[in-house]
Amino acid sequence: MALLVFFIMGIALWHFTVFVPDRFWQGIVGAFVGAVFGSVIFGWIVQSASGKSMGDTDLSTALIAVPGTLIGLAVVYAIGMRSEEHPG
Amino acid sequence: MGSRRRNLFVLLFVIGLVVVSGLIIANKETKLGLDLQGGLELVYQGQTTRAGEEVSGEDIDDSISIIERRINELGVSEPEVARLGQDEITVSLPGVTDARRAEEQVGSTAQLYYYDWQANLIGPEKVIAGNPGLQPPAGALKASEKRWEDAERPTTNELVKQLVFAGAYPTAYEAAQLAAEQEPVENCEECSVARPRYYLFEKAEPHDLIAGPELAKKDLYVSPTGEKRPKNGTVVEVPPGTIVVSEYPTNEAGELDESIEPGWYALKDEPALSGNDITDPEQSYGPNNEPLVSFGFTDDGQAAFQEVTRRIAQRGQANAIGPVSGEEAEQLSHHFAVILENEVKTRPIINFAENPDGIDGRTGAQISGGFQNLQEAQDLATTLQIGALPINLKLISQTQVSATLGSEALDQGITAALIGLALAILFLVAYYRFLGLIATIALLAYGVIFFALINLIPITLTLPGIAGLVLTIGVAADSNIVIFERIKEEVRAGRSMSSAIAAGYRHGISTIIDANVLTLLTAFILFVLATAGVKGFAFTLGVGTIVSLLTAVVFTQALLGNMGRSRLLRSRSALGASGEGKKWTFDFIGASRWFFSMSGVILLIGGFALATKQLNFGIDFESGTRIKVALEQPTDEEGVRDALEEAGVAADGEIQQVDDPNLGDNVFQIQSHQLEPGEVRKAEAALIDEFGVEQDGFDSTSVGPTFGQQVADSAITALIFSLLVICGYIALRFEPKFAIPVLIAILHDVLITAGVYSLTGKEVSSGTVAAFLTILGYSIYDTIIVFDRIRENIPRMPRAAFSQIVNRSMSDVLTRSLAAGFTTLLGVTSLMIFGGAVLQDFAFAMLVGIASGTYSSIFIASPVLTAWKEREPGFIRRRARIAEMEGGRVPAYADEIEMAKLSRDDEPEVVSSPSAAAPAAQAEPGAVATVERTETGNGVGSLGDGDDEGAENGDGDAESAERRQRNAERRARRKARRKHGRR
Repeated sequence: MALLVFFIMGIALWHFTVFVPDRFWQGIVGAFVGAVFGSVIFGWIVQSASGKSMGDTDLSTALIAVPGTLIGLAVVYAIGMRSEEHPG
Repeated sequence: MGSRRRNLFVLLFVIGLVVVSGLIIANKETKLGLDLQGGLELVYQGQTTRAGEEVSGEDIDDSISIIERRINELGVSEPEVARLGQDEITVSLPGVTDARRAEEQVGSTAQLYYYDWQANLIGPEKVIAGNPGLQPPAGALKASEKRWEDAERPTTNELVKQLVFAGAYPTAYEAAQLAAEQEPVENCEECSVARPRYYLFEKAEPHDLIAGPELAKKDLYVSPTGEKRPKNGTVVEVPPGTIVVSEYPTNEAGELDESIEPGWYALKDEPALSGNDITDPEQSYGPNNEPLVSFGFTDDGQAAFQEVTRRIAQRGQANAIGPVSGEEAEQLSHHFAVILENEVKTRPIINFAENPDGIDGRTGAQISGGFQNLQEAQDLATTLQIGALPINLKLISQTQVSATLGSEALDQGITAALIGLALAILFLVAYYRFLGLIATIALLAYGVIFFALINLIPITLTLPGIAGLVLTIGVAADSNIVIFERIKEEVRAGRSMSSAIAAGYRHGISTIIDANVLTLLTAFILFVLATAGVKGFAFTLGVGTIVSLLTAVVFTQALLGNMGRSRLLRSRSALGASGEGKKWTFDFIGASRWFFSMSGVILLIGGFALATKQLNFGIDFESGTRIKVALEQPTDEEGVRDALEEAGVAADGEIQQVDDPNLGDNVFQIQSHQLEPGEVRKAEAALIDEFGVEQDGFDSTSVGPTFGQQVADSAITALIFSLLVICGYIALRFEPKFAIPVLIAILHDVLITAGVYSLTGKEVSSGTVAAFLTILGYSIYDTIIVFDRIRENIPRMPRAAFSQIVNRSMSDVLTRSLAAGFTTLLGVTSLMIFGGAVLQDFAFAMLVGIASGTYSSIFIASPVLTAWKEREPGFIRRRARIAEMEGGRVPAYADEIEMAKLSRDDEPEVVSSPSAAAPAAQAEPGAVATVERTETGNGVGSLGDGDDEGAENGDGDAESAERRQRNAERRARRKARRKHGRR
């Protein structure tokens, strides 16, 4: 259930990338991949580190996904900018 | 064959099919599922007893054959026994109410084993009982008595004393501990079970038996008793070559006395014979009229029986010193044990005085004294006649539906389906006039042919099947809507009726095939991967989709083709095609950022709801027992709980009064951990005694954890496969870039639905998942239709930005999307209102799926596709050029620039677009696809890959200025025309 929460939060936040200049690697689809992977991987790491099972969810489970998503988006954005600056 | 003759042939063929279908419906009864006629459904999981082997397909097939023969003996009409997945068997028994008897008859392995008792006894029990008739060693006996006293089973009780002298242990734990200490016999071919078996005991003394024997350790914690099992219990592994058996003492009449707990033994697992060695078992009576089961032996069995009884007799003889009396011989004789399902059924002596050379196997043998009543002896005889199952069967789910509830559900389902059909027809006729009438004829033909197929194949009609049927009405109507909208477009573009009909079908058919293929693929995946209840839904949907292609496409085309020149079709208003039709001028792509935000907010709410409220999984997933009962006398929840507690039924869950006027005023639903069949019967008896239960007013479902897990796994697998197949198909039919937005839109739908279910707290059942998965296939219908039009418009608009192409495409198909969505919603709403509890569950999932699917195809899939495609160099250049021409803005809709180009394409329907330029002035910059992308690395000047390179290379500033001038003049002329009321 926690993975589902991370997933849904990642996708929810991805929707707001339309307000950001489209410099993500592979555009909006790349942002989608970054948001989802960021939220799920970061969430999974934090959930495991805190000793909670993946079946246990509470408000913090949803909040954990936020920084993960932002990190994922930032990474994809950075890659996008880098590839713009150094094409090929 | 000319088109006229072909149309005539198709018409005659379909009319003939309808007539034949009518005859089939009149003469062949519909096969109803258990949920519609009442009965019992059992789901078993096969487990092999052979070491290192998996359950094979042959094992399952043999088991099915044996179960079918056992069921025939039960006298059940129209039972269904079917394989489910790799190692499961589902058994449907219409009309059966005695769940316990049915379960015992159907699922018991019924493999008898015959043991030389004293030779196989091990441990201290052999010291006490190894030499019958002789005084056991005092020390051993004293130790044994102490064990019994410690277990709070006083040896003053005569029955207990009998067990003590038989060398039994007072608890299963002690016998299992002894068995666990024995050396394992590897690859034991003679053993009854060649694999280790596991027992779970309480951690604390006296180590009560919780579960076992199980062939897999994990099954100790998920066995279908449903009780919470301690994870810290003591697990004992009994190695192959040793078994633990129980035995009840016998009373004076020689019958097993189950008034006290049994004694326990550890035995070497070396049976002398098995049930395979017996012939002609039958129930008969002993000298005192007690029921017994007698049987003969096969040739091998005769020899083996004679041999083992001789050995037993000789051992008894060896204990005798000199000649003995008959009574002494009886006391000194050793025993032969018949064991069924780890329980000693009978343990007769082999009297060496009477049978010094053993018993002649030709005379057969009998089991006596081990039956509590005649029925039990009859059932055992029947089971032995049919033979033993080659594998163990573990009951993982049991559902009992009362006939009344089934009949009520059928009535509700039929009512909902008919009302749904009537509403769809009303809408079609009101909106499409004459074309709607044609669609109605097609829908009626569809209904008749489809229903005949249900009877003919036969498809067992279940509640989920009815839901599938209602959905296929929507699918059939949608096919008509796609075509009719195209016909109307062609008519409005000035084509003749016959040419418009031909063009409408030509353009519509590929869209319909794409959409229907996806629905079929989803139905197929569900049918292959889903659990039994969902299969009916998927099969009905699949068959319905195929039939709808025949009636909604082929039949209506032939019908309209024949009428193309008739007077009826001359009036545009008769087709609902008068006027210019609704032209949407909304900037879909420009506004998409706000729709994205809305979806984001909805998903955030859903995410928080999921995190804090989770999903309310039904017993399909969580396992447990649900009872619905209609009481004769009024009471409240506490009254029901008290009655159950008094009866000793541990219904630890929720009891609530539910509103079901068809069943009366006192209907209660009880949800609990999984109750065993005996407990369910006890609950029924208690409620009958206390309040009285209406005729057929008792209904129960029990699902074991294994089955629940399997339902969840199959749902996830079906979802993943559906997504893969849908994406693969779209990538092949369109282009790979079209598949990703569809995938994102589907995930959006799945997550929104999960959020809605979490927020509303509605129960998620296997039916919900099936309905939703199928809706996914159906809801991408919309996406396919938009994408199909985008694909069609790309070459027609070689100078337009991708956002303009998408806006135009969505404008073209939005009316169709709304009409199709509305028609399907009519059917789904009918299910919601008239369908009864189960169908309402389906309908809610469908409703959320359709709403979310229609929305996401327009506001999620298309904008994502636009944003992605606009990154392609060819489209980047187009945007740059348009922005330059329009003063830095990209209009939402393409203006006369491409209109002029289109006029050369000889495509009348897109030439006239009076309002196309109107929204251009209002288009906002900065939306998903209309954001100027001057910052991207793939900017203007990079190498192009578009199909419009040649057209674009000659463009220059002068040409742009000229175009701007020309466009401005056209706008002015149009404005003037509007002012004077002319179009």
